[in-house]
Amino acid sequence: MDQEARLDYLIDYLLNENPNADKQMILDKTDTLEEKTALFRGLCNIRQPEPVPKKFLEVQDAFLTQWNNERNITSLHDLQPVQQQLYLWQGDITTLAVDAIVNAANSELLGCTQANHDCIDNSIHTRAGVELRLACNELIKAQDRKEPMGKAKITEAYNLPSSFCIHTVGPFIDERGVSPLKEHLLASSYYSCLALADKYQLDTIAFCCISTGEFNFPNQRAAEIAVQTVEKYIRNTQTNLHIIFNVFKDEDLQIYQSLLAGKE
Amino acid sequence: MKKRANFLFIEKNDDVYTVSMTPELQDDIGTVGFVEFTVGDVLNADDAILNLEASKTVFEMASPVAGKVVERNEAAISEPGLLNSAKTEENWVVKLTEVDEDAFNQLEDA
Repeated sequence: MDQEARLDYLIDYLLNENPNADKQMILDKTDTLEEKTALFRGLCNIRQPEPVPKKFLEVQDAFLTQWNNERNITSLHDLQPVQQQLYLWQGDITTLAVDAIVNAANSELLGCTQANHDCIDNSIHTRAGVELRLACNELIKAQDRKEPMGKAKITEAYNLPSSFCIHTVGPFIDERGVSPLKEHLLASSYYSCLALADKYQLDTIAFCCISTGEFNFPNQRAAEIAVQTVEKYIRNTQTNLHIIFNVFKDEDLQIYQSLLAGKE
Repeated sequence: MKKRANFLFIEKNDDVYTVSMTPELQDDIGTVGFVEFTVGDVLNADDAILNLEASKTVFEMASPVAGKVVERNEAAISEPGLLNSAKTEENWVVKLTEVDEDAFNQLEDA
């Protein structure tokens, strides 16, 4: 099967499985590979965490492996540290091949359910495959309540180039702005992810900019808390973790560059 | 004597320390809709005492001090909105004993 045949199979399965898909998303025309990929992504995004047959997973995994690896994949040894054991890297976190990447999740912990939404949670779940939502669903069912802010959970990363995905729910900033509790919860997200990475004896963890973007945390303050918390964790625990600050936007790159440069 | 830590008040009366909501915490989390107490009675500082889901936050409340839980505000399980009340007799969370007095005295005054 080539990529297009795989997509045709996957889309067909997902549409059969969900007869109401047209009420949850716009089913665009699918003439090109790009349009088919977008439809497949959207259908996975709105999909409930129901079991899937082995055949679906085989085809999906084959498609995702090729789709993910068509891009430039970055490993730790491609990067230069900015400080001992700290790295700064701009790019798409789903192209990193490290032990664990951090996902900015929401309290449902099931991944973004909005078709083709342009957020990191959506991108990570899409490229990992439907297995990731199933694994998160198991965790949340076992916990029997929503995921609190400032904590962390770990799953495999499935079809992503990385091995594990650490999911954390950062604080959401509303019209009242940043408060001491929200700052504390953001620091707690970073700390919980690091502690979990060490518990699993990982070597490398890559953080996205937790709570910025959809959750509205101001970028500068968020970065200050991120760097301070990571440095405090290193001091307190003497961890050997290699820690990557992954930024996507130029604005965040500049903020992290100046925060990390001032401390040589 | 009343202290503040982990976004909570702790009020000492004889040997009983009552942990309750601060107005700042109430503002931050929004209307509380679900409350679940943790089960263990012996707590270290920062151990979870309560999980709550509110309109703006899903939050695990961390104990401000080490101690032994002698009473929980179980009325809040069926009526979570009590934790949004301005009155301490309604918005308290747990009562602790066996709290180290020095540790308590070192907390910020409320």
